[in-house]
Order: sequence, then C-alpha cells, then structure tokens
Amino acid sequence: MADRVSIADGEADTAVIAEYEVSRRALVRRGIAAGSLSLAAASIPALLRVRNAFAQAGDDRAIIENAVGLEQTAVFTYAAAVASGRLNAKSTAVARLFGGQEQEHADALTAALKTLGGTPPPKPTAPGDVPGMAAATGSARRILTFLIALEESAVAAYYDAHQKLKDAKLLSAGSAIMANEGQHLVVLRQALDLNPVPTAFATGKA
Amino acid sequence: MDVDRFLNSAGSRRAFFRTAGVGLAGGSAVLLAACGGDDGGAATGPASGSTPDVEILNSALDLENTAVAAYAAGARHLKGSVRATGVQFLSQEREHAAALGQAIKQLGGTPTKTKAAYDFPEFKGQEDVLNFALDLEGTAVAAYIDALPKVSDPELRGTASAILTNEAEHISVLLGALGRPQVPSAFVIGGL
Repeated sequence: MADRVSIADGEADTAVIAEYEVSRRALVRRGIAAGSLSLAAASIPALLRVRNAFAQAGDDRAIIENAVGLEQTAVFTYAAAVASGRLNAKSTAVARLFGGQEQEHADALTAALKTLGGTPPPKPTAPGDVPGMAAATGSARRILTFLIALEESAVAAYYDAHQKLKDAKLLSAGSAIMANEGQHLVVLRQALDLNPVPTAFATGKA
Repeated sequence: MDVDRFLNSAGSRRAFFRTAGVGLAGGSAVLLAACGGDDGGAATGPASGSTPDVEILNSALDLENTAVAAYAAGARHLKGSVRATGVQFLSQEREHAAALGQAIKQLGGTPTKTKAAYDFPEFKGQEDVLNFALDLEGTAVAAYIDALPKVSDPELRGTASAILTNEAEHISVLLGALGRPQVPSAFVIGGL
C-alpha cells in the first residue's frame, strides 16, 4: 500500500504560486507573442469568413455545413504544407498526421450533415481557394504561422458553435473535435518555440 | 462524491455527473452515433431549464479544485521547464475554478468549497506526477464532454468548451513531456 500525500486546503497558494508569479512576466510576454499571431490570423479574410459563417449560422444544419467547409479547408492546407517541401522532416510528419485527422473530422461531419439533409460545400482545389495561403508558403515559419492561424480560427468557430448547436450529440462531437484542434495548436506552437498553452480558456480569440 | 473514488474509476466518474443531474452521454459511442448518422434523430439537445446548471458547474468546480491541489502537490517533484509548465497549468486550473465559481454565484448558487485535504497517491518522481496529471486531465475532458450538452445556458456551454479544450491542450503537453505521441486521436474524448 503506497503512502499517501495529503494536501491541506490553501497550500496551493503558497510556494508554487509564488514561483509562478516570479516567472509570470516572462509568460505574459510569450502570451503576447502568441496574441500577435492571432491578430495576424484575424487579418486573413478566408479564416474570418469561416468564423463569421459559424457565428451567423442559424440552425444545426447550417453550422455543420460550415464546419465541413472549415475542415475541408484544413485538409487542403495541411496537404499543401506537406507538398511545399519547406517543412523539416518532423514538421512534415506532423502536418501529414494533422491533415489526416482533419479528414477524419470532415468525414464524420459530412456524414452527420447528410443525416440532417444538408449538402457538403465544394472542397478547395487550388491555393487561390484559400485566400492568404499563397502568401504564407515562403518559409517553414510562415507556413506554421498560417497553420496556427487556421487552427485558432477553427477553435473560435467551434467555440461559437457550442453556443448555437441544439443537438446534444452534435455538441459532443463538436467538443471532441474542438479539443483536437487545440491539441494541434500545442504542437504547432511548440514548433515555433511559442508558449504551447498561452491562455486558460481556449476560445481561439486573441 | 469521494474524489479518490472518482479519480480511480471511470464508472465513478460517470456517476459523479449523474448525481449532478447529468445523464450519461455515452462518451465515444455518442460521438460515433452523431458522426455516423445512424441514429435517426434521438438526440435530445441541451436541457431547457430542466437540468440545474448550478449542480453541473459545482461538479466541474470540484474537479478543478482537485486539479489545483494535484498540480500544487506535484510541482515540487517537477524539474526545469516541466516544473514551469506544471505551475502554469496550476494557474490555469485556478482560473477555471474562479470562473466557474463566479458563474455559480451569478446563477444564485453557492460554489462548492475546496476540500480541507486531498488524498493523492505518493509521487516518487516527475513521471508519477505527469502520469497522474494525465489521468486527471483525461477525466476532466470526459466529464466536460458528458456534461456540456446538458448545460442550458449557451454562454456557459461556450465557456465549458473553452475549458475542456484547454484541458486537452494540457494533455498534449503532458504526453510530450512523457515522450509519447502528443495527438493520438482525431477525436478527444478523454477518459481513463
């Protein structure tokens, strides 16, 4: 039988918190850096359109249709990142993995959309279908920054969707997908040496 | 609810939220039903005032208070950048707890109090702490996914989604620190 450690009420407020406060300024600086990335994302028209589409969607079918469009955009963007040849081997593997997971989201949401009587939107087929993407392919850093912007927009879109969706099962599915997008953000931020979890509330909004 | 039992048993975790008026969402099974389109519209949607949001939020607050205590207990066993990560996560769990407490008050409820003591397994080193934190975070994600569809207030559902995504982010960092794949599944449903 293992010994056990009892933590008295209030202990969390002492040494550990004090240590955190000492380093908080540095963390805030890193958070501001991540915030700047979010600001850059907000300037990308395509990503803003996706988010706004979620925000304006009036019913579950419209929300899921927009979610499918977002996931299709993510699939296309990750494939383009892999094909660019500008990412190192590790980031290429990450992009390939995440692109596959976005495809899983798209497939699942498309199936759900069809049960609601909806039709999936057209998939992007060229870089021009994702405004802002062509300008983001010049270097690995720019590609990863664009992917972060894309994932933050996805988190923001699902955050909005959680306040609008009516169907309990779609809410659960949306939660599981939103959480996965958040995990993508962790890895992408780490690839750019950013704070992987800059905020306690992952709303995707700067 | 006994937090120790809750942490050590998936069944107890489910029961935890059941006592708070949250029906069993069924975790991955529900997810597949929603995504596979074979359900025929059995979903009930968010409760419209029939489920007391305060009880759900208080259950979540108890989880967050437990996480705060766990990170505080474990931080002393962490080293270097992992320690910095641990104290950052501790701070974020405290932010969750504060937000939930405030929401409970705004709904006219009384936030559940932090326990006088939390009884955790002995941590023999950093890996023990990381694995325990991983279980705790996975439990939290699963609990939030179970609870979220039952929250009647749209804004609170948004807040819950932001918290559960943050917990999922914690999981990825913890997995990385343990040298494990950081994003093992396209659908994050948590669990033990």
